[in-house]
Amino acid sequence: MKIKFIYYIAILAFMASCKPDVNEFTPSNGSADFTTYVAVGNSLTAGYADGALYTSGQMYGWANLLGEQMTQVGGAEFVFPKVKSEFGVLPGKLKLGYSEDCLGATSLGPVPDVGELDPYTDHVDYAVNNVGVPGAKLGHLLFNGYGDPANLALGLANPYFVKFATTPTISVVEQALSISPTFFSLWIGNNDVLGFATSGGLSPITPLTGDVGIGFTETYATIVGALMSSAKGGVLANIPGVTSAAFFTTVPYNAIPITDQATLDFINAAYVPYNAAMEQMGQPYRINFEIGANAMVIFDADMPDPIPVTLKFRQITSDELVLMTIPQDSIKCAQWGSAVPIPSQYILTASEIAEVTNATNAFNDVIKATATVNGLAFVDFNSILVDAKTTGIVVDGITFTTTLVTGNLFSLDGIHLAPQGNALVANYFIDAINTTYNANIPHTVVSSYPGIEFP
Amino acid sequence: MRRITLLLLSIVLVSATAFAGGYQVRLQGNKQNGFGLVGTPLSWGASSMFYNPGALSFMKDKMHFEVGASAIMSNVSFQRTGSSVTEETDNPLGTPFYVYGAGKINEMITVGIAVYTPYGSSAKWQDDWSGKFLIQDISLKAIFIQPTISFNINDKFGIGAGFVYTTGGVEINKALNYGSNSTVNLDANASGMGYNLGLFYKASDKLSLGLNYRSRINMKVEGGDAKFTVPSSLNTLIPETNTFDTELPLPGNLDFGVAYQATDKLLIAFELDWVMWGTYDTLSFTFHENGDLLSSNNPREYKDTFIPRIGIQYDMMDNLQLRAGAYYDTSPTNSDYFTPETVSLNTFAYTLGLSYSPIDMLSIDLSFLQLFGQKSDMAYTPDNFEGTYQTITYIPGLGVSLRF
Repeated sequence: MKIKFIYYIAILAFMASCKPDVNEFTPSNGSADFTTYVAVGNSLTAGYADGALYTSGQMYGWANLLGEQMTQVGGAEFVFPKVKSEFGVLPGKLKLGYSEDCLGATSLGPVPDVGELDPYTDHVDYAVNNVGVPGAKLGHLLFNGYGDPANLALGLANPYFVKFATTPTISVVEQALSISPTFFSLWIGNNDVLGFATSGGLSPITPLTGDVGIGFTETYATIVGALMSSAKGGVLANIPGVTSAAFFTTVPYNAIPITDQATLDFINAAYVPYNAAMEQMGQPYRINFEIGANAMVIFDADMPDPIPVTLKFRQITSDELVLMTIPQDSIKCAQWGSAVPIPSQYILTASEIAEVTNATNAFNDVIKATATVNGLAFVDFNSILVDAKTTGIVVDGITFTTTLVTGNLFSLDGIHLAPQGNALVANYFIDAINTTYNANIPHTVVSSYPGIEFP
Repeated sequence: MRRITLLLLSIVLVSATAFAGGYQVRLQGNKQNGFGLVGTPLSWGASSMFYNPGALSFMKDKMHFEVGASAIMSNVSFQRTGSSVTEETDNPLGTPFYVYGAGKINEMITVGIAVYTPYGSSAKWQDDWSGKFLIQDISLKAIFIQPTISFNINDKFGIGAGFVYTTGGVEINKALNYGSNSTVNLDANASGMGYNLGLFYKASDKLSLGLNYRSRINMKVEGGDAKFTVPSSLNTLIPETNTFDTELPLPGNLDFGVAYQATDKLLIAFELDWVMWGTYDTLSFTFHENGDLLSSNNPREYKDTFIPRIGIQYDMMDNLQLRAGAYYDTSPTNSDYFTPETVSLNTFAYTLGLSYSPIDMLSIDLSFLQLFGQKSDMAYTPDNFEGTYQTITYIPGLGVSLRF
C-alpha cells in the first residue's frame, strides 16, 4: 500500500507542474525597420496634457507608448526630452479640483495645478526620438530658427523647441533627421486649423496652396519627403474635426438660465430697441429670452453691413460652439451672454465652423493621399473621434467618449489626450502600422494606464 | 464519528474554483470522483442522495456514512488579443465537501440527510490585471442541505426524493475607473430551495440504470452589501455604502446513466448529463440608492450543455478497487459574453481513483482528476475585452465511508 501511495503522490507532483500556456503572440517587424523611431508633430506627439507638458504626461504620450511597444520588434530605447517637473515648462497645468465661483458656489472642475516649473532655459542635452513641439504648425517644422532663443521675443521661436533644439538654427525636421531615423510618425496640421478655432477665429488658417512653408500641400509633401530620405517607413495621422473635441463642446450654447419672470421681463425690455432696429433694417435677427435655458448673446462682426457695428451682436444658434476657456464668472456675475455680448474669441460661429471644417477636410485629403502615394501607414484619427462622440469606444471595460472628464479620452484641457486615451490612440497607430507593414507590434494594455484622478 | 466531526470543522472554505461547466461542481463523492463522476446508475450507498436518491434504498447496509472533500487547484492563463502580455489567476484552493448519513427504516424505506456543495466558483486575478474593470476576484459559495427519502418498490425499482435548502454567499471585487484604488465590493448572503428526484432500475444482477433530476434553484440576494471606495468628490453620485438585489440561477440537471458489470471484477458505466444552463441569461444588479446610475444588466446568455461520461472500476482485491474515468464538458458560456469571472472552457478530464478497506466497515476513497480547459478565444463584447484563455486544473480528493 505504501508503494502505491508514493506512486500516487509522484504522479500528482508531476502533473501539478504543468501550467497552461496561452502565449500565442509572435512579435514581428514585418517589412519595416523600427530600430530608430522618430516622432514628429505637435503637442499631441509631445505628450502634452492637462494644459501643460509635464513628466508623467510625456511618459503616457501615445508616441512614447508606441516607442515602448516597438522595443519588442527591434526598436531601440525611445527617448523623449524629459521635462523635469510635474507642472510643466510654462504655467497653465490643470487638475480636477474644487473652485468657488463669483456667487460663492463650489463646484468640481479643472482648476490650476501650480508648482515649480522646469523652464525652457534648462536645456536638454541628449539626442531625442520625440521631437513633438507643442503649438507647432506645419510650416514651423521647416523653420530654421524655431528653436532659437533669440527669436522668442519676436514670437518666431517656440520655447518647447528651444528647450531641446541642438542648435539655434536647426529646424524640427533637421532635428528629427539628426538621429538617422528608420521609422517615423508625423501627426501635424491640428494647429493649422486649431489656432484659428481656439482663438475664436482670430488667428488665420494655413492656406492649402502656396510655396513650401506657406501652403499646406507643398509643405506637407516636403516634410514627408525629407523624413523619408532617412526613414523608409512611417505612419501619418489626420486632423480631427473641431466639433469632436471637448474643448468646444463642454460649454453649451444656451448657458443663460432664467428662472423668474421679473428678470425675464427686464432683459426682454432691454432688447426691444434692438429688435425694432433689426425689423426696420429688414434683418432677421431678434433677441428674445424665455424662462429656462437661453442662447447666449454674442458679438459677430460678420453680420451683414447695413447693420451698424454697434448692433453687430445676436443670439448664438445651437450649431455654434462656445470655447471651454470662456470665463464662467463673467456669465454668472457680469451679465456676459445676457446683457453683455460675448467677445468673439470665445465663440466659433457657424461660418467659422464651416471654414475650419473645409480646411480640415482639405488637409485630411492631402494627408491621406500622401500616405497612399508613399505606401505609409495611416491613422484616421478624425473618424476615431467621430466614433467616440457618436457611439463611444469601449476597451477593457472603459468607455471613451468626447465628454470632458467622464469621457476618459481627453485630459482636463479638453483637446489633448488623457493617459488611457493615449494608450487607446497608440493601439490605433499600432494597428495601422501592423496592417501596412505586415508587422506584429503588440498592443498596449489600455486599462493599465491611470484614469482621470478625482479629488 | 469524532474524527469525522474534526474533519468537518477543518473545512472552512466551501468554494470551488471555476473549472468546468459554469460554476457547477460535481465532486460529491470520492468513489464517483474517480469514476468519471458517474453516479446516477450506481447504488454506492449514502452518496446516492446526491447522484440519485432512487438508488439510496438499494443500499446494502443498515447505516452508511460518507464524508470527504476535494482540493481544487486551478490555473487560468489569459492573453489579450493583440497583446504580448500573459496574465494568470492566483486562485485560492477550492474545497468542495460532502457529508452523507443514511439509514434503513425497514426493507423498503431508507432515509438520510445530505450536506454537499454542488455549485461554487472562485477566481482571483491580480488586482491590477487588464480585466480589473470586469472582475478582480469572485467567490461564490453554496451549501445544499437535503433530507432524503427513498423507496424500493420491488427488488428492481427504487424511487427517491429530497428537499433541498441552499444557503450560500457571493463576494465580488472589481476596480472602478475613477482614479487609482477605486473599487467596489459586493458581499451578500443568498438562499434558495429546490428538490432532487431519482429513479433507479436494477434490470439484472449485472445491469442497472438511473435517472436523476435536480431542480433549478434561484439564489436570491435581497439587500446585499455594496461598498464603494471612490474619491470623496464622487460620494454624492456613488455613496460609500449601498445595498443591492440580485439573483443567480443554479441550473437544473437531468442525468441518465447505465452501469454494467462486465465481469466479476470489472464494472463499466456510461452517463449523459443534461445541464440546463440556458436559464442563466443575465446577471442583474439593482442598487437601492442611485440605482439609475449604478444598476446594471449584464448579459451571460449561457446555453444548455450535455456531458458524456465514462467510468471503469476494477476489483484488484476484495478490499481494493481501482477506478478510472473520463468526460467531456462543453462550456455553457457564449463566446461573445464570456467574462473572466467564470472561466469555463470546453474541458476534457480524466479521473483516477481507488478505494481501500483496511477493515470491513471502513473504506478510504481517494480520487484524482485532471481537467484541461481547451485554449479558446473568448470575448466579453459589452466591455470589448477579448483574449485567449486556457485552464488546467488538478483535483485530489479524499473521502471516508463507514457502514454498519
